[in-house]
Amino acid sequence: MMDRKTENSEYLEQASSPSAEAWEMFKRNHAAMAGLVILFVITIGSIFGPLIYPTDPFDMVWAPFSPPGEEGYLFGTDYLGRDLLAMVIHGARVSLVIGLSAAIVSIFIGVTIGALAGFYRGYIEEILMRVTEFFQVLPTLLFSMVIVALFGASLTMITIAIGIVSWTAVARITRSEFLRIRELEYVMASRASGVSNTKLMFGIILPNALPPIIVQSALMVGSAILFEAGLSFLGLTDPNVVSWGQIIGSNRQYILDASYTVTIPGIAIFVTVLAISLVGDGLNDALNPKLRAR
Amino acid sequence: MRKFTRNVAAAMSLVAFTAAGVIADTPTRGGTLVTVLGSNVRNLNSAVQSGIVTGYPGAQLFASPLRYDDSWTPQPYLAESWDVSDDGMSVTLNLVKNATFHDGQPITSSDVAFSVEVIKNNHPFKSMFAPVENVETPDAHTAILKLSKPHPALMLAMSGQLMSIIPEHIYGDVPINEVKTHPRNNENVVGSGPFKLVEFKNGEHVILERYDGFFMEGRPYLDKVVMRIITDPAARAIAYENGEVHMGAFESLPRVINRLKKADGLNVTPDGYGGIGPLDWLAINTTKGPLADVRVRKAIAHAIDKNFIMKAIMQGTASESRTGIHPDSPFYSADVEAYALDLDKANALLDEAGYPKNGDTRFSVTIDFGWPGVKPQVEYVKAALKKVGIDVEVRASADFPTWAKRMGTMDFDLSWDTVFNWGDPVIGVHRTYDSSNIAKGVWSNTQGYSNARVDELMQMAAVENDMEKRKALYAEFQAIIADEVPVYHVNTLPYHTVYSDKIGNPPIGIWATSSPIDMVYLKD
Repeated sequence: MMDRKTENSEYLEQASSPSAEAWEMFKRNHAAMAGLVILFVITIGSIFGPLIYPTDPFDMVWAPFSPPGEEGYLFGTDYLGRDLLAMVIHGARVSLVIGLSAAIVSIFIGVTIGALAGFYRGYIEEILMRVTEFFQVLPTLLFSMVIVALFGASLTMITIAIGIVSWTAVARITRSEFLRIRELEYVMASRASGVSNTKLMFGIILPNALPPIIVQSALMVGSAILFEAGLSFLGLTDPNVVSWGQIIGSNRQYILDASYTVTIPGIAIFVTVLAISLVGDGLNDALNPKLRAR
Repeated sequence: MRKFTRNVAAAMSLVAFTAAGVIADTPTRGGTLVTVLGSNVRNLNSAVQSGIVTGYPGAQLFASPLRYDDSWTPQPYLAESWDVSDDGMSVTLNLVKNATFHDGQPITSSDVAFSVEVIKNNHPFKSMFAPVENVETPDAHTAILKLSKPHPALMLAMSGQLMSIIPEHIYGDVPINEVKTHPRNNENVVGSGPFKLVEFKNGEHVILERYDGFFMEGRPYLDKVVMRIITDPAARAIAYENGEVHMGAFESLPRVINRLKKADGLNVTPDGYGGIGPLDWLAINTTKGPLADVRVRKAIAHAIDKNFIMKAIMQGTASESRTGIHPDSPFYSADVEAYALDLDKANALLDEAGYPKNGDTRFSVTIDFGWPGVKPQVEYVKAALKKVGIDVEVRASADFPTWAKRMGTMDFDLSWDTVFNWGDPVIGVHRTYDSSNIAKGVWSNTQGYSNARVDELMQMAAVENDMEKRKALYAEFQAIIADEVPVYHVNTLPYHTVYSDKIGNPPIGIWATSSPIDMVYLKD
């Protein structure tokens, strides 16, 4: 007869953790896996690309508007004769960094406000939710344009501007999760045993509220990349760095003469955002307990 | 008194003017000209407001004493003749006898005197009439401008939009320095020009109609002028192509210009902007760091390829400019250092100046720009200077006032800029190089440039009535500023006038549409 200790270990080995279960679920989603692979390639390319292809994106290397493939320039050259391939590779780094950083800013603001509102309720919730609604009804692009125009078009300011206008969805999701979880028995028990409010919020409730926040965050990276591209297109960008949106913005007036200067970075944005979206959908399926049970 | 120009001379000039093809066909009367303004109009009264957008309606509503043909020869307008005294200390204007304002009141010499005072106290171009001490009015049709010193720039300052004659009986009801905000500047305007105001709706249109009492027999030819305000260049291009508008001026976007050149039934010309004299250049702060060394400034000039800018960025629509005077001006001298692209020379100059390459970089500077349209030039300068080891950081300004403040306080290293000559060099050129005008706001001597000989040459040219001597003085002036590069002059701003085949006598004199269009007509 098996002793009790051995029985427990075997049981633990067989039972998968929630994260392992989620990963199994995610792996079964082919579209999500494809998105993940694409995102991985783009990320690796943005990190190591400039080392493998060290052409400075600001160097005028050849005649302006050389079509793709001409004179060895795979993506051709832009209106100043700059290598579009170098610009796209360097631009990937900026676009992804802004996308990630802006998403982090949004998540930080959104989670903080949502957690406080959902946990404390009462007048704190009332105030914070009215603030959230205020930001929700602001025209986001216009508001971010004003922020960038007022404080300068540096990468930091662009990131903050995108973060400031994008946090409301995270706040609402976090609040609703907190409202649900704070009434659960294990939370009540923790509260009864004298756990501090801070630990309750961020040590007990937040980890259990994370799945929908993670999904929302993944999608937010994609929308932040699109947002940055929009601002860059309108000229609100740091002119000393290259991003995909900035390439499109700089070359847009030549779209009829050299459409590839706009199309190529446009495709880069499209593929990246699509990949992020597929990963986000995959995470949604994998982290949703109801879907996982199917 | 030396007769500088008289009726006969003026008449001969007019014959030459006509023979030169400006009046090509027999003009016909009537019709409505539909034309465009590229931005909103702050003020219709060109006596108190500068700028090309005010200039167009302003020059139609208000007449000036003189007008100029396309060869820079003054023509009679509100003044049927004029005399410059031998010592150059006074200018006598003999006004036409039958001129009336749009309310029927006669235009008299006291209106001329009043207008000069209004312009002196309200118009931003102070140098135009600064030497005018007073205006004597011995009779209703004679105005004598008494000067503190000879002032040959006065001739151009009395033309186009620069000296609008406004009615004292309308604008004299407020203190002279408050005319700028007079309610009659934009509504119920009583002008002296060929057209009177029908309606002004800012953001939409300015509508003018023929003033039947205009003092020039048979003029204007048009019955009505509709100036549609269309701020988007692409929308204007479509309007031209569709025939919705007959004419427009000050088009400067290369892709729009080249597109319109291909359109059937449209004429696109860069002629007519010598008076406005718009120039694109790279302003250099000569007081800061490495840029204080003339060798560094010369190196920058040698590292920038003007041809690239003119061909690739301006798409062949602009022409080269080597000095601060517009190439179409009679005072322009091309006999100056041209700074051909020469990277070896640039590198040698930078080495000689004591800025060796440390890795790939010698030193860093910033470059500013005030409006998005010149961002390609700024991006080009960044790339071009990198080739000689100068690291350039582009500084975007939140808006035009931010850039203007940076320029006005000399808070910049390099900046792309566009500056207008406004006729005589005294009016629009001296301000950039005059050592007594350093950092007096945007479009002053923002470069902090100071050269005693340049100051002396400008002072001498400002009071020299002999045209050939003036040209010689300005030639030396241009040679020095080209040699010392406080500004690297690159190209003309490619202003173009667009007009349909239906237009006769398009305004392609030196002031483009900032001059009366009384001779413009619609062909059958």
